Amino acid sequence: MTAAPYADQPVPMPRGRRSTELLMLVFALAVVLFAYGAASLGLSGKMPSGPLVYIAIFGVLMLAAHVAVRRYAPYADPLLLPLAALLNGLGIVMIYRLQESGRNGNPGNQVAGLAASATKTQLLWTGVGVLALVLVLVLISQARVLQRYTYTLGALGLVLLAIPAVLPTSHSTVNGAKVWIIFGGLSIEPGEFARLALAVFFAGYLVAKRDALALAGRRVLGIDLPRARDMGPVLLAWVASLLILVFETDIGTSALFFGLFIAMLYIATQRVSWLLIGIALFLFGTFITANLFSHVMERFTVWLHPFSGSNPTGIAYQPVQGLEGMAFGGLFGTGLGHGQPYFTPLVQSDFIFTAFGEELGLVGVMALLLIFGLLVQRGLRAAIAVNDPFAKLLVGGLSFVLALQVFVIVGGVSGLIPLTGVTTPFLSQGGSSLVASWILIGLLVRVSDSARKPAPQPIQDEGMTQVVRAG
Amino acid sequence: MNRALFRISLVCLAMFGLLMLNMNYVQAFRASSLANEPGNIRVFDEQFSYQRGTIVADGDGTNVTIAESLPVKGSDTYRRYYPFGKVYAPITGYDSIYGKSGIEEAENSMLAGTNPKLAVRNFTALLTGKQKQGATVSLTISPTAQEAAYHALATETDGHAAALVALNPSTGAILAMASYPTFDPNDFTTFNGAQLDKIDNELLRDPTQPLLNRAISMTLPPGSTFKIVTSSAAFSTGKVANTSTTIPAPTVLTLPNGHTLHNDDDEICGDGNPPIIQAFWLSCDTAFADLGIKLTAPVLRKYASLYGMNRGLSIPLAVAPSVLPEGAGWLDPSFTAMSAIGQYNDAVTPLQEAMFAAAIANHGKLMMPYLVQQVLGPGLSVISSHTPTVLSTPVSSKVAGYIQNMMYQVTHNPAGTAYLTAGPQATGGIDIDGKTGTAQNGINSDGLDDAVFTCFVPGKNIAIGVMVQGGGYGADAAAPLAVQVIKAYLGRHS
Repeated sequence: MTAAPYADQPVPMPRGRRSTELLMLVFALAVVLFAYGAASLGLSGKMPSGPLVYIAIFGVLMLAAHVAVRRYAPYADPLLLPLAALLNGLGIVMIYRLQESGRNGNPGNQVAGLAASATKTQLLWTGVGVLALVLVLVLISQARVLQRYTYTLGALGLVLLAIPAVLPTSHSTVNGAKVWIIFGGLSIEPGEFARLALAVFFAGYLVAKRDALALAGRRVLGIDLPRARDMGPVLLAWVASLLILVFETDIGTSALFFGLFIAMLYIATQRVSWLLIGIALFLFGTFITANLFSHVMERFTVWLHPFSGSNPTGIAYQPVQGLEGMAFGGLFGTGLGHGQPYFTPLVQSDFIFTAFGEELGLVGVMALLLIFGLLVQRGLRAAIAVNDPFAKLLVGGLSFVLALQVFVIVGGVSGLIPLTGVTTPFLSQGGSSLVASWILIGLLVRVSDSARKPAPQPIQDEGMTQVVRAG
Repeated sequence: MNRALFRISLVCLAMFGLLMLNMNYVQAFRASSLANEPGNIRVFDEQFSYQRGTIVADGDGTNVTIAESLPVKGSDTYRRYYPFGKVYAPITGYDSIYGKSGIEEAENSMLAGTNPKLAVRNFTALLTGKQKQGATVSLTISPTAQEAAYHALATETDGHAAALVALNPSTGAILAMASYPTFDPNDFTTFNGAQLDKIDNELLRDPTQPLLNRAISMTLPPGSTFKIVTSSAAFSTGKVANTSTTIPAPTVLTLPNGHTLHNDDDEICGDGNPPIIQAFWLSCDTAFADLGIKLTAPVLRKYASLYGMNRGLSIPLAVAPSVLPEGAGWLDPSFTAMSAIGQYNDAVTPLQEAMFAAAIANHGKLMMPYLVQQVLGPGLSVISSHTPTVLSTPVSSKVAGYIQNMMYQVTHNPAGTAYLTAGPQATGGIDIDGKTGTAQNGINSDGLDDAVFTCFVPGKNIAIGVMVQGGGYGADAAAPLAVQVIKAYLGRHS
């Protein structure tokens, strides 16, 4: 017998690529630093002096995240952290730029509802977000750990979603959207976290039930219809999302919630019928609520006729300002600090994308969309590569809902679809969204690490299998 | 599950693709229409922060600035200035913090620099660090003709509202467009909103309507000048063979509905059956009313339309349509008789009057009237340039020749209606061919008819239409205004 060729050479180990990550992270930090300098120059004509410490702190936080990934997820996709850092950093720069508008002798108007300490707060939340990322990496060594808490997290998600609906308005409503928990100076948007908890629940539930959902049923008109009793969870999700719509006046969250569920159902069962049923239910629900509730119908009016009659100065004022701001930016934008994004109400949160459009132009928003697109693509790639069906479902669903969220808000502010209020991940001002986004990155990092981790190496060469003959 | 994940990836790709397409649509394709959306705060704020384009009148080749933006001392803003005040007001319009009119409005995207044609230049300016600048709009207006027209209207109409338009018949270029009473656009350039409100309200309430650009927005009955159209129809359809063909011209014409039509002052028209040319220079109403009945209303309307009536025009200011309308009973021959002599429901603008003469002067071809000759970029490079276009061909050159002969007699035959005021003695030897009109406007009958005159100078590129509201006889109140403008213009351009 001859030894297999190369048997004495070690199997090549996949590289962790942490150095690549560090290099790209430094590049992302450099972009953020230059953007910050440009914003400061644009506003006051001077290079920033004191607040440069913001960027230093941000850099330290991102490097800490990198160290945590290096330690706890050494084989993770090297693009995830730099992409998230770039988005978060640009968001901080824009919030700084909006905060400074009309303050400290800078030109422009002050942005309503944006405190003079908004940048500090956002930086603080970035710190909390990074901490959450580290905790996810430390506590969840494998996605499977979460599967144990399927129903716990499902219940938690529903409770989080429901809390604002039952709280009095003073503790739950900001700008007409009843989606907050407000106590003292602290306001939390529980829906952002509920989405993550429910994604875990859906993943766990569907992994357990997917065979029944996928195989049982009848074929009608070339479409495999599921059994009526399997429809239960779908209808439950539908009713829950309609309830959010009705009681919390929040079309965006309800669309994301329902979209997440339908996408995961499809990934689990591979049955197009679930997609069709889901889309039909969504359209039907929207149609009914649009006719029952004036605030839903109004969104459609604003979407279709932003410029007719008194709309531009009335109900369509905000979207019209957003559109005109982006159009004013044109191809190359006015430059950071040179535009007038402060004309658009809530430009620091729902409409922050239009501020980027105005000041960085078409070129800038194309870059932002590519960053988001790349992030989604890396997430889906991890989902395809990983073996564990639970992790596959969870990360596939979360990546999709990230794409859907960007689609809903960017499409909304740019007039592609009716406007609904959801945050722009990483960019919008607000802690809940930011921390939830970092938890999402933590899950993607964890699963991509599992997917790329080499199979355990045999401890020693045990030689060829030997046949032992008895007697 | 990987196949489903792959499909989900495609859905994500499609969503990002749609977003990118839509951002391109909003920020590139729709950018200029959004910039021109009324009430766009950003564009509004920006418009006084850089130099808006200049408007020049270049009809004499002298490049006279009639509107410009000058830096305000001690601030970063620019303020609009109109060096000639009221003279060019109907042309330039005004540019205020609340709104715009005239060329300031019609060519705003060029003057403001937001037109897509200027995008490359703006981008170059951005890269080289130069300040953004609007484009220069160069007009066909001849300062000589415009000044003469404004002063004639302001001093020789006894305060009657009036307007005059001069055209170059071979191109359609508008040489002068004056309206009286008018306003001073400099009053609108203040940055003080309250003061602007006050001025605007005063002008809007002024009963003399100074903000109305009468040259293109006022329509009055054309009266006997419409006999040009009636004759065109008669010659072109063969109802009348040539200028010496006789037509019946009774002193009193009994209309089919029993009413009677008299000539002015009950004059006798020749021998009662004169050649059409004589009926034209005497301007016999009965002759042309009778001819109108024979031609019928649809034929008259067809030729009116060929002369540019019954439609709107953009020069690029919006022109009120001159009309011979189809209304209830318009086919009734008794009404047709009145239409044929420019009464009943006929109504035309002073620009339309100029177009009647211009079509004849250009041998039957009517050129599209226009104001903007060129738009010049900040480096005086040509961004767009007007090419003359034919609006229509109302008559053949033969018929145009017949009508020119008849218009010649109006001013050269001692019995012609405008012999005394636009004949060779009155013009100092300049050969003007024209047609007078004295239109009853239905409001009064005590000498306050609307005075109309349309004319051109054969071989010279000028045709004029002038209307004086309540001025009286066309020959007396309107013709002398045209003569003054022609004298001034030819004094410079011969």
